[in-house]
Amino acid sequence: MRARFSRWLRVNSEHYLLESAQAEMAKRYLGRSVPATERGLVPGLWRHLFVPMYHRLPQRLRQSAIEAMPGSHRRHWSEPPPRPHIPGIQ
Amino acid sequence: MGGGAAGIGAAGAARQADPGAAVTVFTEYEDVAYSPCGIPYVHGKEIPSFEALFLQTKEAYVKAGIDVCYETRVSSVDTTRREVQVEGRGTVPYDRLILATGFDYADPGVPGGDLGGLYYVKNIRRAMEWDRVLDSVKTAVVVEASPLGLEMITALAHRGITVHVVDPHPWALAELADPDIMRPVEESWAEMGITTHFGTRVEAFLGEGTVRAVRTTAGEIECDLAVICTHKQPNARLAAAAGLALGSTGGLVVDERMATSAAGVFAAGDCTELPHGVNRVPIACLTGSHAYAQGKVAGTNAAGGSRVYQPVYVPWGMVAGTWMVGGASFGETLATALGIPFVMGVADGISRARYYPGVRKVRVKLLAEPAGHRLIGAQMVGGEGIKERADFLGVAVRTGITLEDLATMENVYSPPIGALNEPISVAAQNALASLRR
Repeated sequence: MRARFSRWLRVNSEHYLLESAQAEMAKRYLGRSVPATERGLVPGLWRHLFVPMYHRLPQRLRQSAIEAMPGSHRRHWSEPPPRPHIPGIQ
Repeated sequence: MGGGAAGIGAAGAARQADPGAAVTVFTEYEDVAYSPCGIPYVHGKEIPSFEALFLQTKEAYVKAGIDVCYETRVSSVDTTRREVQVEGRGTVPYDRLILATGFDYADPGVPGGDLGGLYYVKNIRRAMEWDRVLDSVKTAVVVEASPLGLEMITALAHRGITVHVVDPHPWALAELADPDIMRPVEESWAEMGITTHFGTRVEAFLGEGTVRAVRTTAGEIECDLAVICTHKQPNARLAAAAGLALGSTGGLVVDERMATSAAGVFAAGDCTELPHGVNRVPIACLTGSHAYAQGKVAGTNAAGGSRVYQPVYVPWGMVAGTWMVGGASFGETLATALGIPFVMGVADGISRARYYPGVRKVRVKLLAEPAGHRLIGAQMVGGEGIKERADFLGVAVRTGITLEDLATMENVYSPPIGALNEPISVAAQNALASLRR
């Protein structure tokens, strides 16, 4: 059940966050606005509630929410070794 | 289970780790050990025959002591009893199981999906059959300018076929690449006579028995063939039915040993999900090289050895139109979507000395953390050297290299292969200059 919910959340959040970023990039680089290809109440809620709310959350909170989702990131993965530092050399 | 890069990599590694191990590979297909990634280039006639894509003969696996069961479907997995049900063979026990069941293309989910003339590029035998069909195809629609879509668009155009691209996104490869990176590619497609329909959704495949047109939100496109290049999704159906844990991508949850949630069961390749090295968000369906390397880890550990995989930084690259595009980790679009803060530097440079024949433009974009300036991603478009830069920048992100490191990097200068100024270094210098302003 939890995995199904996280899949649903991932698919939708990814879709609408990407759509919003693509619209911003299209304006910046292509000089045009991008009309939404899906209309309706549900896409509207994702676009006008979820996306702005996600971007208003502090980065740390967003990261915590992502880390709380079930997935491979919650299993054991060794941290990369720290970058060597040679004193006196940048 | 699975005869692709991950499955075959796992089988070889298991035999290497324990030469006494009895290793069996079940594959639904007629062949293993070929490069499916090469299929578009045979279609495009860059490679003369499909035979060139085979890396090993079937006899080589017999000699190596790997029992490959071709055209054999596993119907269920029981991880408690440690056995699989194999169609036509019954119950087969195992000590260790490695799932390498690959991916499926996302279902376009529109009427007409069962018509003939819809080509999903995957199996080499089907590709051989489709290649003969291509001789009579005049017009093709490529559904989505995904990584495979980019390769097929260019291949079909090389073949002399009139190509239409239908994609719901505003530019090509928009789930991965930035619009300024893809602009030269789209311009080259236009020069090759390819028609793009961005911001357009497929509504139905039309025809009687075989596709004759694709109905889209922007009108109907007549065609003899539709190539479906929707994004890849992990094929973890059997694993899910067996109760193994799946993550938010739909891929199998694994750890650094490629061990799944079930004891004695490992997984590798497109059916799994891996954490991204920068933000730990799990991602699935990476490249053949990822799949093969994961297979090696899974196979070694399954046979009693010890090997670990690492979070991924995803260097990528490909030929598209008359350009090469590539990058590593995050681009501007993806970082913006995820709300990852970044500073950015861009440079437009050249691939070799400006006077040397064959010189091409190279655009490099670097993204770095605002504090500390560690690289978090890069995107590039150019004519050559993109793959090598993407590999290098993937390692740069992984090892925490900063804009300052790149701004002062040494670079190879040799007129036929490298310009005086390396565009990566100039992009880093530009990023630092913009921070000082």
